[in-house]
Amino acid sequence: MTTQTYDLVIVGSGISGSIVAYELGRQGKKVLILEAGQEVPVDRSGYMRTFFKANAKTPESPYPPTTQDPKASTPDNPLGLPDPALENVPRYTVLQINSWRNPAQCYFTYPPQAPGLTGDSPEVVFAFASSYERIGGGTTWHWLGTSLRHFWHDFELKTLYGHGVDWPGGQQFYQALVPYYEKATKEIGVSGDKAAMDKIYTQFDVEPSGKYGPDYDYPMPPIVASLVDNLFATVTDMTVDGNPVYSSPTPQGRNSLPGDRRQCAGNTNCIPICPIQAKYDATVTLANALQTGNVDILYRTVASNIQVDAATGEVTGIDYITYDDHLGPPSGTGTAVGTKYLLAAHAIETPRLLLMSNKNAKFPDGVANSSGQVGRNLMDHIMYLAWGLAKDPVYAYRGPLSTSGYESLRDGAFRKNRSAYRIEIGNEGWQWAANDPYTTLADFVFGQNASQLNGNSVNQQGQPLRFNPSLPANSQLFGQQLVDTLNGVYIRQIRLGYLIEQLPDPDNRVQLSPTETDHLGLPRPLVTYRIRNDYEREAFVSAKAVSTEIFNAIGATEYTIPPPDPVLYGAPNEVTATNFQYKGNNFTFYGAGHIVGTYRIGDEKTNSVLNPRQQSWDHANLYMVGSGVFPTVATGNPTLTIAALAFQAADNILQDLKQSSEEEAEAMASSS
Amino acid sequence: MSNDMDNFVGLSVVLTGFSREVLAPDLDPVDIKSEYLPVFTANVTKESGDPSLVADIFQKYAMLQSQTLTPQQIGEAMLDPANGEAFVLACRKLIFMWYAGAWPTIVPASATAQASTVSDLISAKAYTASLVWQVMQSHPMGDSNYRYGYWNKPPVPLSDYTGQ
Ligand SMILES: Cc1cc2nc3c(=O)[nH]c(=O)nc-3n(C[C@H](O)[C@H](O)[C@H](O)COP(=O)(O)OP(=O)(O)OC[C@H]3O[C@@H](n4cnc5c(N)ncnc54)[C@H](O)[C@@H]3O)c2cc1C
Ligand code: SF4
Repeated sequence: MTTQTYDLVIVGSGISGSIVAYELGRQGKKVLILEAGQEVPVDRSGYMRTFFKANAKTPESPYPPTTQDPKASTPDNPLGLPDPALENVPRYTVLQINSWRNPAQCYFTYPPQAPGLTGDSPEVVFAFASSYERIGGGTTWHWLGTSLRHFWHDFELKTLYGHGVDWPGGQQFYQALVPYYEKATKEIGVSGDKAAMDKIYTQFDVEPSGKYGPDYDYPMPPIVASLVDNLFATVTDMTVDGNPVYSSPTPQGRNSLPGDRRQCAGNTNCIPICPIQAKYDATVTLANALQTGNVDILYRTVASNIQVDAATGEVTGIDYITYDDHLGPPSGTGTAVGTKYLLAAHAIETPRLLLMSNKNAKFPDGVANSSGQVGRNLMDHIMYLAWGLAKDPVYAYRGPLSTSGYESLRDGAFRKNRSAYRIEIGNEGWQWAANDPYTTLADFVFGQNASQLNGNSVNQQGQPLRFNPSLPANSQLFGQQLVDTLNGVYIRQIRLGYLIEQLPDPDNRVQLSPTETDHLGLPRPLVTYRIRNDYEREAFVSAKAVSTEIFNAIGATEYTIPPPDPVLYGAPNEVTATNFQYKGNNFTFYGAGHIVGTYRIGDEKTNSVLNPRQQSWDHANLYMVGSGVFPTVATGNPTLTIAALAFQAADNILQDLKQSSEEEAEAMASSS
Repeated sequence: MSNDMDNFVGLSVVLTGFSREVLAPDLDPVDIKSEYLPVFTANVTKESGDPSLVADIFQKYAMLQSQTLTPQQIGEAMLDPANGEAFVLACRKLIFMWYAGAWPTIVPASATAQASTVSDLISAKAYTASLVWQVMQSHPMGDSNYRYGYWNKPPVPLSDYTGQ
């Protein structure tokens, strides 16, 4: 039982929680962080060992809790997925996507499919495709590092294009965020190319004059381009819906110069783990916060309930459960008490905690939920992948996973009709797209054709796909011929990823499972996730066509495999998780890891969870940070904006703490 | 046993297309061959149900090797269907093991999917030592000895990686 009273109690030590902790700790405020996961290790070699040993190198593979136990593999659990009911801090992993209908293997639970739907019905529910971590330092352990801003147009989607909602204040909101974006860029230590960003900002009417700070530049020079980037940069005379198509170096949270952290050595492994911490992760900010001497952290401490004073509506404490061993029994309980409270447990766990806190008589639907918006509007950047083979070698699988992208299609009049997207250019060949190098390897060793390189397949451009037409289909190679074939394929592999903007849909939501719990007895998330709008589906059609056009422009051959028809009904292992039909096409979508919208800010108490200061409408001393506050997912990767908003929230909390203590002093003075 | 190892390495050189200096150099701190041979022996024996299959494979290789044949001819003779399905499959799995650091299982085609392969990683060392990274003129993901910016220039020639 904690007895000390803190100025601020924070739930979660990811980038958003750590930034606020650091900002307050620096100002002499006393902060306590409750962290559900295990402690930040002294060095990362243990995580590296786990990663090297993992069969599937997924984003979560290096980190506790263990994602797979190959020895536990059985015919109905081939991946040996652990049972979330036996885990104290389960989290969703991408390995669970295909087990989404089996709660003994998947942490999330899902509603049943409505009867009678077809593959193109908007009401089809899918598996959620994005994951997160529950460990000290949070999800930036395995983020890619892409550090882009949103544009002000992103904050006025409703006003300008008639879809979704505006962020409160729209353009002014952006304006107020500019100095915080600069702080965030500095905190992450972004390597970037100002001239390249100027070009994009100018295209999208974000003028240098005051709108992104006159003295602004990146802390580090841009990361050098890969040979893959150079190929995609040759696209210069193409337009899509009136916008020019040109690539730009991506601002990235990894060191282009040695500094406090090491210079990137191109381990090509930013997701799931940078072996040398050249890539920023939140443990950097967390360590700085702890260094202030004013911040305490409790690890293996799971926030389980928020207490509220019925009379004032103020939060009075956060209950937690502790454990020693991930699979062991709880080791204790307690209540953390502070003046102010901040939830930073990310966009699934924060609403889960709010909804679990339903024992307060005046707030039976959960804390901060008078609007009924908690857990709603769950969004992601829905990803479309396209892959192909370049005409000439580009030496894939070398360098950071992605070093440039097409940002020039992120806005335009077309947003009246379909979602915008940015296009990420991958340096890791077909690793993500087709599980290479292993798929191609197996094809040429065993005479299979899962990659389409070793058979008679024809692509969407009508081109035959057999890599070496002088070899028979389903060749089985060895020796020099195998070496030459594999080399010829691997060094030409290219991949595009489209990050498609999803609209807020109140029925896409996180609720509590009525039946399934974790090992601490806490209800697991029940996730309803659809891609209902033609607006989003049209972007898939566009992405498909644009990929083919880009591959044509660079003389590459497209290998994107159209997915099979969705299977909606049947045994759990038969139903598909992430594919749908639209206008005669089959699509698979992937997750970007950008989990957004579940406790959004807004102008009105009735349609949002937080006011624009990221403060609960219902409980004046409760704040929330992270991408759950975003009203729309917008077109940039979220974390730079998460960080900027966290800096802004820290200022608001400091201001409110000051005001509270002044009021207290006044009250004391008048009573004496 | 040392004879088995010699045959195993010799056969591996023929089938993978990599040189002995890369697979099993004289000074061999990684010594991945000593992990692979027992895995190969145990899995082939178990999967084929034939306790003498591994010995047959090595014997056949030793016999071919003692003749004046090119590696190509030895490889073709080892993979000749006349040797029997289990024999050839074992040789193919040997190739996959060196390239992937993992033991493969073939998933036959079904009504909805074509044939594919899943694999079980042998060890952390096998992951980093696997040949796929060499054949793509790169490094294992997560384990690079290169320096900042190397990705902006073409790599050294393939032959430097294969030793051939
Ligand atoms: C594969 C992948 C790649 C990504 N790449 C990028 C990218 O390139 N660019 C980008 O902008 N974004 C990227 N992201 C997104 C980015 O990682 C997240 O937006 C960001 O890390 C979220 O930070 P956060 O602080 O809000 O939450 P988190 O970092 O998730 O932190 C939440 C913390 O809360 C803790 N917690 C949870 N529940 C409880 C509880 N009940 N009690 C106590 N503590 C709790 C967790 O353990 C965790 O430490 C990526 C995500 C993924 C999955
Ligand atoms: S490319 Fe490698 S060294 Fe660079 S940030 Fe990514 S993992 Fe770290």
